[in-house]
Amino acid sequence: MNAIHKVFDSLKKNNRKALITYSIAGDPDLDSSEKIIRNFIHSGVDIIEVGVPFSDPMAEGPSIQLGHERALKNNISLKDILEMCFKIKKDHPNVPIVLMGYMNNFLSLNENLFSELKKHKIDGLIIVDLPYVESTEFLKKLNKEGIDLIRLISPTTTNERVSKILSSSSGYLYYISLKGVTGSELKVSDELEKRVLSIKEQTDLPVVVGFGIKDAITAKKMSFCSDGVVVGSLLVDEISKFSSKEDNIMNKKLTSIIDELKEGIA
Amino acid sequence: MSKENYNFPDKDGRYGDFGGKYVSETLISALDQLEDTYDKVKNDKSFIAEVKNDLETFVGRPSPLYFAQRWTKNLGGAKIYLKREDLNHTGAHKINNTVGQVLLAKKMGKKRIIAETGAGQHGVATAAVAARHGLECIIFMGEEDIERQSPNVYRMKLLGAEVCAVDSGTKTLKDAMNEAMRDWVTNVDDTHYIIGSVAGPHPYPQIVRDFNSIVGVELKGQSREVLGRYPDKIIACVGGGSNAMGIFYPFLKDNSVDLIGVEAGGSGVESGKHAAPLSDGSVGVLHGMKTYLMQDEGGQILSTHSVSAGLDYPGVGPEHSYLRDSGRVIYEAATDDEALDSFHDLTKTEGIMPALETAHALAFAKKIAPSLDKEEIIVVNLSGRGDKDMANVAKVEGLSL
Repeated sequence: MNAIHKVFDSLKKNNRKALITYSIAGDPDLDSSEKIIRNFIHSGVDIIEVGVPFSDPMAEGPSIQLGHERALKNNISLKDILEMCFKIKKDHPNVPIVLMGYMNNFLSLNENLFSELKKHKIDGLIIVDLPYVESTEFLKKLNKEGIDLIRLISPTTTNERVSKILSSSSGYLYYISLKGVTGSELKVSDELEKRVLSIKEQTDLPVVVGFGIKDAITAKKMSFCSDGVVVGSLLVDEISKFSSKEDNIMNKKLTSIIDELKEGIA
Repeated sequence: MSKENYNFPDKDGRYGDFGGKYVSETLISALDQLEDTYDKVKNDKSFIAEVKNDLETFVGRPSPLYFAQRWTKNLGGAKIYLKREDLNHTGAHKINNTVGQVLLAKKMGKKRIIAETGAGQHGVATAAVAARHGLECIIFMGEEDIERQSPNVYRMKLLGAEVCAVDSGTKTLKDAMNEAMRDWVTNVDDTHYIIGSVAGPHPYPQIVRDFNSIVGVELKGQSREVLGRYPDKIIACVGGGSNAMGIFYPFLKDNSVDLIGVEAGGSGVESGKHAAPLSDGSVGVLHGMKTYLMQDEGGQILSTHSVSAGLDYPGVGPEHSYLRDSGRVIYEAATDDEALDSFHDLTKTEGIMPALETAHALAFAKKIAPSLDKEEIIVVNLSGRGDKDMANVAKVEGLSL
């Protein structure tokens, strides 16, 4: 059983939902982003998604785009990010770390990618621009190393494609709550809840919801129908307000946001 | 290579290893819908007739094949002919694609059109067809390009389009494409994205190639009539590569015809300051396609440099990547200075002002023509007119208008 599986197993036993955070490696700088993640873990976040900054983040809204730009100013490479994750995993082997990014950055390590991910204890990948149809070969190589490819399902995914996606998924499923970029305004609707429930009926894998969850109330609503929520833009926005010299005050602020979210979805 | 063996894209939207559909899940259904619609209508007689009628009466096709007599004489070698896409309505080849795609949009019941533009030619061509069909139109354009191509910005506005300035990243064509993708993912139900080059996710490279291949098809007929044979060389500029793909595609099986694509060499390929991924790039994934890109070791896309906004793009259509590796098409680069020199040359000797993009193809023709036999025939795809570039050329040369 891998770390992701274990986390959802134990959440289920305790009748709890997962809180998943997204923050960008290298934002505001590499050391600070490591401190931010460690603080998330201390604050009780269940799964850590680490954004891999890309020069052309096509699926991101303004908050996360700017975060990617800030990180790239520090010349962050995938290798730096892997090293950072490895250090964190050493201290927290049971907290899953999932890298989220764009295909071109992952391709930069060529065939070494899969062994490097394994070597650095990465639990899963989310690749925004690698849809089901393009993923067959990639998935095989990842699975061989025991790493999950977290699939995205969106409001425009047809039922036919949902079943195809489910048939080759592992880890958890990420339901994109809205048609739009990250951090758009989310309107919680019956339709949204019904869709998540219908996906859950078709799979034993946990289904989490992300995109546009920016407060405890929305997080709470979305956790009712799902197995957890992903919060990204809200945190990246907060991080943008501080320089790397203000680590302590920034992390205090982030802790209070996490506390509030956790209370919402508990 | 014979056309019989050349059957790309394959069912997965690939050209060999290149191409594909690397987009977020939300866009897959829109791409599938576009693919289905296109497959249904591409051989449909009434659709073909509708496109043909628009090309004749709205665009003004066929475009002439013109003998550049004085320029040929000055260069003293091969005969140079120009395929006059600059004479099309809106001044470039770009309209060949937009008249077709807007009809696809209508077939799909989409009410809103978006597009990216670099030099503004594709934006103008999109705004024109949207106006004609009464559709809402939003054009995404990098801030730097808005500055370089201001006449086209006003032209788009006059045509009723909203021009959305993009200030992210390098503020040029690639960022305009990112922003168009973001809009599309948000408004996917009622919006069709008219991509302007043979780039992006499948089926765009195929659709844009097919609509532009009228250029090559016409050239075949004109060659037989006017020249009595096919040309020895066809030269076209390559940014994303739509005008080149349009003129090359019908000739792919005709091995006697050398096909030459000319990329933007900027300050010189060896300087690193250019927009020539086929000459000096590596394979990666951007904007939904696997193709040659200008990128660093970590897979970050590099800034490009070109005097021409329309070629200032770090990627290239996936079919060009395939044709490069297969050797059927040869890819060269022309520098900013060489392009500017040919811009003036053609304007002064033939009375035809070419677009700066096109001037790159002319520059390569100028380089090779003098050493070729006088019986040899070169056709350059004169992909667009240069009026839009006057202010920029003046600025580069230190003049003010």
